[in-house]
Amino acid sequence: MSTGAGPGTRAEAGAGRGVGRRAVLGAAAAAGATLAAGCGGGDDGGGEGPRVRKKGEKITLTFWAWVPGIEKPVAMWNERHPEVRVKVEKVSPVDGAQYAKMHAAVKAGNPPDLGQIEYMTVPSFLLGNGLADLTEHGAAEVKDRFTGWQWAQSVFGKSVFAIPQASGPMGLFYREDLFGRWGLEPPATWEEYEETARRVRAEGAYIETFAPTNGYRFAGYAWQAGARWFRAEGDEWTVTVDDAPTRKVVDLWERLVREKLVRTDPDRQNAWYKNLQTGRIAAWLGAGWGDALIVGNAPKTKGAWRVAPLPQWREGDNAHANWGGSTTAVFAKCRYPKDATDFAVWLNSDPRALQALIEGGAGWPAATRGWKPADTEKNRAFFGGQHYSDVFARADRAVDTRWQWGPLMDTFQQRFGDAFTDAVTDRNMSFRKALAQVQRETVTDLKDKGLKVKAG
Amino acid sequence: MTPPRPPTRAGATPLRLRVLVLSLLTVAALYFLLPVYWLAVSATKSSGDLFGTFGLWFADPRPLERLGDLLRFDNHVFLRWSLNSLLYAGGGALAATLLSAAAGYALAKFPFPGRETVFNVVLAGVLLPHTVLALPLYLLFSEIGLVNTYWAVLLPSVVSPFGVYLCRIYATAAVPDSLLEAARIDGAGEARIFRTLGLRMMAPALVTVFLFQFVHIWNSFFLPLVMLSDSDLYPIQLGLTTWQGYADRQPELYQYTVGGAFLSVLPLMLLIGALQRYWRAGLTEGSVKN
Amino acid sequence: MAPPNARGPRRTGRTGHTGHADYTGRTGLTRRTGLTHRTGLTHRTGLTHRTGRARHTRSAAGFLLPFGALFLLTFVAPIAYALYESLLKPTRSGPLGLGGTGTAFAGLDNYAHALDDGLFLTGFGRVLLFAVVQIPLMLLLATALALLLDSASARWVGFFRTAYFLPYGVPGVIASILWGFLYVPGISPLVELARGVGADVDFLSQSTVLWSIANIVTWQFTGYNMLVLIAQLKSVPGELYEAARIDGASAWQTARHIKLALIRPALVLTTVFSIIGTIQLFAEPMVLKPLAPAIDSGYTPNLHAYHQAFKSNNQHAAAAEAVLIALVACVLSFGFLRLVGSQRERDR
Repeated sequence: MSTGAGPGTRAEAGAGRGVGRRAVLGAAAAAGATLAAGCGGGDDGGGEGPRVRKKGEKITLTFWAWVPGIEKPVAMWNERHPEVRVKVEKVSPVDGAQYAKMHAAVKAGNPPDLGQIEYMTVPSFLLGNGLADLTEHGAAEVKDRFTGWQWAQSVFGKSVFAIPQASGPMGLFYREDLFGRWGLEPPATWEEYEETARRVRAEGAYIETFAPTNGYRFAGYAWQAGARWFRAEGDEWTVTVDDAPTRKVVDLWERLVREKLVRTDPDRQNAWYKNLQTGRIAAWLGAGWGDALIVGNAPKTKGAWRVAPLPQWREGDNAHANWGGSTTAVFAKCRYPKDATDFAVWLNSDPRALQALIEGGAGWPAATRGWKPADTEKNRAFFGGQHYSDVFARADRAVDTRWQWGPLMDTFQQRFGDAFTDAVTDRNMSFRKALAQVQRETVTDLKDKGLKVKAG
Repeated sequence: MTPPRPPTRAGATPLRLRVLVLSLLTVAALYFLLPVYWLAVSATKSSGDLFGTFGLWFADPRPLERLGDLLRFDNHVFLRWSLNSLLYAGGGALAATLLSAAAGYALAKFPFPGRETVFNVVLAGVLLPHTVLALPLYLLFSEIGLVNTYWAVLLPSVVSPFGVYLCRIYATAAVPDSLLEAARIDGAGEARIFRTLGLRMMAPALVTVFLFQFVHIWNSFFLPLVMLSDSDLYPIQLGLTTWQGYADRQPELYQYTVGGAFLSVLPLMLLIGALQRYWRAGLTEGSVKN
Repeated sequence: MAPPNARGPRRTGRTGHTGHADYTGRTGLTRRTGLTHRTGLTHRTGLTHRTGRARHTRSAAGFLLPFGALFLLTFVAPIAYALYESLLKPTRSGPLGLGGTGTAFAGLDNYAHALDDGLFLTGFGRVLLFAVVQIPLMLLLATALALLLDSASARWVGFFRTAYFLPYGVPGVIASILWGFLYVPGISPLVELARGVGADVDFLSQSTVLWSIANIVTWQFTGYNMLVLIAQLKSVPGELYEAARIDGASAWQTARHIKLALIRPALVLTTVFSIIGTIQLFAEPMVLKPLAPAIDSGYTPNLHAYHQAFKSNNQHAAAAEAVLIALVACVLSFGFLRLVGSQRERDR
């Protein structure tokens, strides 16, 4: 498609007629291509559309990413592929600024070729027809190289829109020394968790903080409980944020908050780090990438931490969830989607690339081969020699693969934060009420975007 | 203590009053400098100590080592950001000052139809919320291929409606029409009159405009955030927030962020300090003469 | 036209700025009395007057062109674009809306939507409250400091002035990160010290966080406003103070009756700029948001618009909100100017 000048770009600036140019992309991006017909006309002739690189032709692909240490695997790629050079441009991940940039770039018609996009944000880029369908560029053949549920996160209809990179299987980090001193064991069920919270509080500490602004971690809780907030069925989005499993989760946290058994300040912020150091917070429902966080910010607690699996809703169950994680996606404007796809696949499945990613801190690799969980245990001594990666490996295998993210997760995250901030500070606003409000607002938000929505 | 006498000379005020004034000034200085002091202390700490030790006192201070680490991190990228910031702020402020001077001078010294309208439109420019204008501006700049270049940040930075306002006010007061008229009669062209007379007479205002615009650009965050994607083009502040964003995974970045913030405040201190003399010279001359 | 021989000295006296006095001497313009005389004559002919006017317009255009062109590009064009965008709404096609996007004319829907959004309106109420409290406090402090520094009793004026102005050089985002450390319970040395004397303060609670933001803004901008006021004070002709002194006025009386009256225009200016700044309040709440759950996504109107534009990817709604924010800023600042104007009328 036209980058820079050209009739297509002008049509975009003069918005009203912007449909036509998008039709071609739409055909590629839509789950069912035929439905995009009927909004043709005014196409720009496709002089700059996706193309196949000629043999010997040298190209440079830009890649917007922010994961630490991403330069290393990219340099390895460039060494081996002089014809397809990848240039990393590091974008600021503060408070979603990187997506703001990507959305703006997509709208302006000059996005990079590749981008690091988190799982929950992938659908929002589909809305703007921002991503290329990688199915026809060889993505379909590599499906087996990746963990099923992570692969499924970027599949819509029959199309694959991103190559999974890493995830964050959840687990319970806890202070083994303190738990031991207080005669506590890591809770196996949420019922036990509540009781443990009470006992920890009685010792003057807290077991956790319920941060109303951390909607994604909460999503992990709901995910584990069996919720399915979003479903794409037919040509409609179904929103069921306020479903039975999620209610179960909010009820638990409402009790914990109202009894003041947990704090309500944000996790992974200044005060939380301080509380980690002092032992005022004795546990954290975190994710596979969280070890570095504790190691770096509470170095003096070395040896005191252990990791346990998430508490279960029913004793003996093995339900798990995920928090965080990224993909490598190819933008629809990319002129060499085949080469870009090749790079994305290589980056996330080549054994040497994987080692470099792990070293940099990318998280729990989505690839099934080419690495072993123990590779991620950079900090075993800190966790008293525990093979803590086993916990995450088990969790990763048991994540509910049916979970899907909705198209406007950034907005959702705000809605959630605003509603639950009210709920935490105002006793008249029950958690259930807040949940219902989030459900209502999300449906409206999707409708406002011109989407077909059904409240489940 | 000397008995109070009518103050005939500056400086001959009663001691009591001097002490009172001085203590008030000192209290205010404490308020304004305390966070700067905190920053200086914290720049010597590790990430762990940043969260774990008393904020207003040192813990294991190794300033050179910590700042050295920070400067070396990621191929000396901090130095690169510093140079970028200097370019944006220095170049941008210089150009902004000249443009504002010319425009303010024109608005002050040339009565032309629609002058007040032009001035009001410029003033209204100050009212626009920049954060939200950034997106349309980004789209416009994309059209002409300017995004992710130095120009994307420089061009908007050289437009200072406030500078025009200040220059106009100042030129009206400080550049006498009669002098310009005389120069014209001497046969000097308008451009030359502006260069030799206008700019010189407006000098104190220009320093002000330059200083304010320099700080404004140095501090601007949102424009570069939207316009730039290549971290080689980042100014310091944007770079620092990037670090802060990675700090989740790489905790030593907290320490680098705080250290970088400290280093980025230094040039401003130098600038303000260096221009202090000029300010004083410019602002006190009149009273001395009288 | 002023008599030629009166030109030089009077100018220096009135403006009190450097560089003028010797300038006239160096160019020697005053000495050419004959020339000036002749212009006096030509001015009467009327013909020259008109061509002079056209010449003025041409010259003015030349001087205005560089600024004007860039102003059009970076201010006028984006706001025009925003106005246009604010009248549109997105449409989608295809399954799940992934098929394609377009836009349709929406009239004033986006504006109605914004004005119907409780969060957005609460944000406005909040910044108004902020403005009513913070601006007078900050300007009071700035005025007090300016007068103190300007008083004959002050020492180390350069040091103090730099110290007060320094925070202006700390970028808003950095300032907020920095104060964030000074606010967060458990880390803040201030909270720790307060606890030491038995006071339990929480800077980030629902009821206090707005004033914690006010403190950051005050910290950053008092010095700036003070400098503007000092500049105005210095432009006061020295003989006025001299006259007051000879009349036996005390420092306090001079400050109250002469200086305050004279810095009035500067105070009006700083007030207007503060109003504009307050309406656009953004960086501080954005940076503190992760630390203080009490700050929601619509805490200030600008934050709301930012979230619309960049988080929800909803440019049309954001454009409408941007226009509304600019309008409110306009109404408030011009309203204030009129208020001041009418008061001055009454004073006469």
